[in-house]
Amino acid sequence: MTPDRLPEILPGETPDAALVERIAAHIARDVRPVPPLAAPGVLVCMLLAGFAAIAAAGGAALGYFGVARLGAGAIALIFPALAGMALLAAAASVNAMAPGRPRPFHPAAMAAAECAVMAAIFLLLFRDYSLGRFVPQGLACLKAGLLWAAPAGAAGSLVLRRGYAVDRPAAGVAAGSFAGLAGLAVLELHCPNFRFWHVALWHLAVLPAGAFAGWAAAYFFGSKRRAAELMQ
Amino acid sequence: MQSAPQPEELMVRYQQGDAAASTALIERLSPQLYRFFLAQEVSRRYADDLLQDTWLRVHEARHTWRPGEALLPWLYALARHVRVDHYRRVRRREQREQPVGALPEIAAPQPDAAASGPDLEKMLRELPESQREVLVMLKVSGMSIEEVARATGASAGSVKQKAHRAYERLRKLR
Repeated sequence: MTPDRLPEILPGETPDAALVERIAAHIARDVRPVPPLAAPGVLVCMLLAGFAAIAAAGGAALGYFGVARLGAGAIALIFPALAGMALLAAAASVNAMAPGRPRPFHPAAMAAAECAVMAAIFLLLFRDYSLGRFVPQGLACLKAGLLWAAPAGAAGSLVLRRGYAVDRPAAGVAAGSFAGLAGLAVLELHCPNFRFWHVALWHLAVLPAGAFAGWAAAYFFGSKRRAAELMQ
Repeated sequence: MQSAPQPEELMVRYQQGDAAASTALIERLSPQLYRFFLAQEVSRRYADDLLQDTWLRVHEARHTWRPGEALLPWLYALARHVRVDHYRRVRRREQREQPVGALPEIAAPQPDAAASGPDLEKMLRELPESQREVLVMLKVSGMSIEEVARATGASAGSVKQKAHRAYERLRKLR
């Protein structure tokens, strides 16, 4: 037998006609018009608009002290990198919400890569390795970052609410890291503390924390749904 | 003579609320979905249930398919997910159940041996699940490498590699 002969051999196995008829009749009873999802490009643009709006609102609310003290070179490195990663995370979130869309990388791997890239940029830019008031200042930044990541997550779920994720935890990680990037952008606009360890640990922590929160939310809602299915 | 509408055309009409199109689509694609489930060791016993669940899931998620896109990668991504979900559910249920002694096992309906060839099942069973899945999508469902990659969430290179390894193995088993 050669692989090419597979289709010739297998077509004998067909489902019971009565079963197919029953499925078709069951579904036909509930058929009504549904508008298809918006084009992926439109959804990505909506997410990016939300990202920019939340970053700008966060910066305005907390003060643009960080960006005011950053040099032109640092601004040209940090913010385009954040925008590029937000674009990738938005595309991953949109692709995760429809079955059969391309997924070149798992969202968790992408979130890890985003952390690595930002850490490399911070290592390149910030050479002050002192740790003065490391924890209190860090906790304040982490709190602010997470507070601004939350509305980005809410806005993201609003845009993606009609999607249907086949891999819910991965979709949660993608949406969560997108929200985490929005929180990180707010911190980069606001925080004037340029000590490397502060930025690399407390600022960057918003990204994995967002990804974890996205995963946990997806897992929680997924298990509620599974429980409902088991009860049926 | 008028040719039968393409599955994509039927899906568009299904999204627009045409019940006849949904019926035609189910009748058209059920045989290949059924074979997809039969080809996998883990789903063979439950092929009927999985077929039913897949169409219910398709109905629930039908708005996520966009006209102009290929239908099969979308459909098979859902079917794979239904299979994994079903497998987990069955395992959970079996873990909760208490053994009640030796009960006679009910035989699962076996496909007709004469129709499928004497060695085919054995040969396919020799393949790892992932290679078998790729082979069935490519050779039975007639999907392209790219479509299989989208349905399985893998890269085209990985699909090519799995298919190549499956072919090699089948040739050796011949």
